[in-house]
Amino acid sequence: MENSQEIVQLKELAYDLRIKLLKFCGSYDGPVHIGGDLSMAEILIALWHHAMECDPDNIAWAKRDRFIMSKGHGALAMYMAMASRGFFDYEEIISTYGKLDSKYGMHPCRVQLPALECSAGSLGQGLAMANGIALDAKRKKENYRIFCLMGDGETGEGSVWEAAMLSSSYKLGNVVGIVDRNHQTMTFYTEENYMSMDPYADKWRAFGWNVMEVDGNDMEALVEALDSIPDPQGDVPTMLVCNTIKGKGVSFMEKQLGWHSGCLGTEDMEKALAEVNAAWIAEKEGIAR
Amino acid sequence: MKVSFNFDAIFASGRDNTGRKLEELAGRYDNVWVLTADTGGFLGRFKKDYADRFVDVGIAEQNVMGTAAGLALNGNVCFVTGMIPFMTMRACEQIRTAICYQNLPVRLIGTGGGLTSGGGSTHNAMEDVAIMRSLVNMTVISVADPNMIPNLLEDSMTYPGPMYIRLAQGKKDRVIYEQGTGRYEIGKGMITREGSDVTIFAHGEMVGEAIDAAQELEKENIDVMVVDMYSVKPIDSELVLKCTKKTGKVIVLEDHLMSGGLATAISDVYTDNGVLPEKFKRMGIPQVYAGFGSGAELQRKYGYDAEAVVAVTKELMDK
Repeated sequence: MENSQEIVQLKELAYDLRIKLLKFCGSYDGPVHIGGDLSMAEILIALWHHAMECDPDNIAWAKRDRFIMSKGHGALAMYMAMASRGFFDYEEIISTYGKLDSKYGMHPCRVQLPALECSAGSLGQGLAMANGIALDAKRKKENYRIFCLMGDGETGEGSVWEAAMLSSSYKLGNVVGIVDRNHQTMTFYTEENYMSMDPYADKWRAFGWNVMEVDGNDMEALVEALDSIPDPQGDVPTMLVCNTIKGKGVSFMEKQLGWHSGCLGTEDMEKALAEVNAAWIAEKEGIAR
Repeated sequence: MKVSFNFDAIFASGRDNTGRKLEELAGRYDNVWVLTADTGGFLGRFKKDYADRFVDVGIAEQNVMGTAAGLALNGNVCFVTGMIPFMTMRACEQIRTAICYQNLPVRLIGTGGGLTSGGGSTHNAMEDVAIMRSLVNMTVISVADPNMIPNLLEDSMTYPGPMYIRLAQGKKDRVIYEQGTGRYEIGKGMITREGSDVTIFAHGEMVGEAIDAAQELEKENIDVMVVDMYSVKPIDSELVLKCTKKTGKVIVLEDHLMSGGLATAISDVYTDNGVLPEKFKRMGIPQVYAGFGSGAELQRKYGYDAEAVVAVTKELMDK
């Protein structure tokens, strides 16, 4: 599968998403959660362009896979990823984001944007909602999956583990948890200060989940993992722990606490764009060789 | 239809009435789900007959709200039962953000209203009406008579948005109305006893206390109007103003903190309409953690049982 045509396309979409995020971060008059947006770029693209069955022209299609964005502060990246799949108009997102009466805010609102499965912004609430949808799907013997994307810092919320217990107890094989494991919260590094998350994957295993660990910034690895999720009719929920780098792709943002959210000055934006472009050119050359 | 009430001590279980009605609704509607966080002994038959639409999440109130929200997102109507303080406070943010913000048809049925729980201050429900009525999109109902529950749950199937339904203790609550003589229409209040001297607005089990007080006061030629304000939100402003205009003197009686509940809701109606009642007295729980004792004992201790209502009414009448 390595560097198959589809993988190259997915990588290019992730590159394009990073460019769009950085350009927006450099032009928007307000903070952008750029660090976590960049860490999950591959995850979002792999989901919306590869793993999930969906139809942008029929958002109410009953058999669609559901995407629960639990890390609500990643809304911008989600809007842009969904726009690249045909759900939204990219220009509308960047021209109205955060403005009065916009449908596109810092944290997603399903009431204003019905293509979303749920509203979010308060961390630790998504997995329980994913379970609710999954219970209904299981009862109706539907075959779709419910993907729930969380941040690793978010899983400090006890409500996540209440929900984790339910997913396995109620044998919700149609639930797929994805954790953007970037090892940072807003104010600390998870394994270095304050609250440690390790042994992270084992925690999910102990809660009865089928756990896969993958480099979440490696498109081939992600796609391979997503392709190996067991049948949704199974009895065990699946957790994809995606090890990622917060601020991925921009040297001065990577693993820096200051870039949980922020604004980019023009000079820094140019520098960031140049780095992401250079990396993509090198990657393409590697692929061509 | 004129409401008449029982003078006998007849009691019914609000919980059993709830369980039976939910079974009936589940039989008629395929999208009815019942969820609980380790409560609901009265749901035994539902659990058996509708096992595939019953969820017990264990002792995890936040989880029960989130799960209900997910089910509701998929087109279901969810009834969540539980003890009021844990339901409304531990899971308050889930109720607000997962349920109310998304405006989902989740019905929260809470037992142990006011000081009726007998469990002490951890289990008492003194703040719930204040908290729930502050939530946008939330409807707040407080049930005076356990036999009113079926009609309420029936109507809730077609009522938009989330709803909070407060029961008293829920095991052995007083039956107030003669069967079939009253009906709870969401958004309305119900005059249960006509009167011309003083109006008592009450909700929940305090409606019964108000009626007892009114009977007692009748002996002294004081004519008390009793209004069952089961719909705390939306509130029947028209009825509040009409009764206030008629009697001038008003008492608000509730098994809840005197601040933030029905008394505050009624004060809001006055403020919004530029109305000042001739006399206005709030009766309910003062700013205390009430301690141990039965609901009746605590109501007496804190001065809002029927006897206290009689005394306060006389004061208002300058007698």
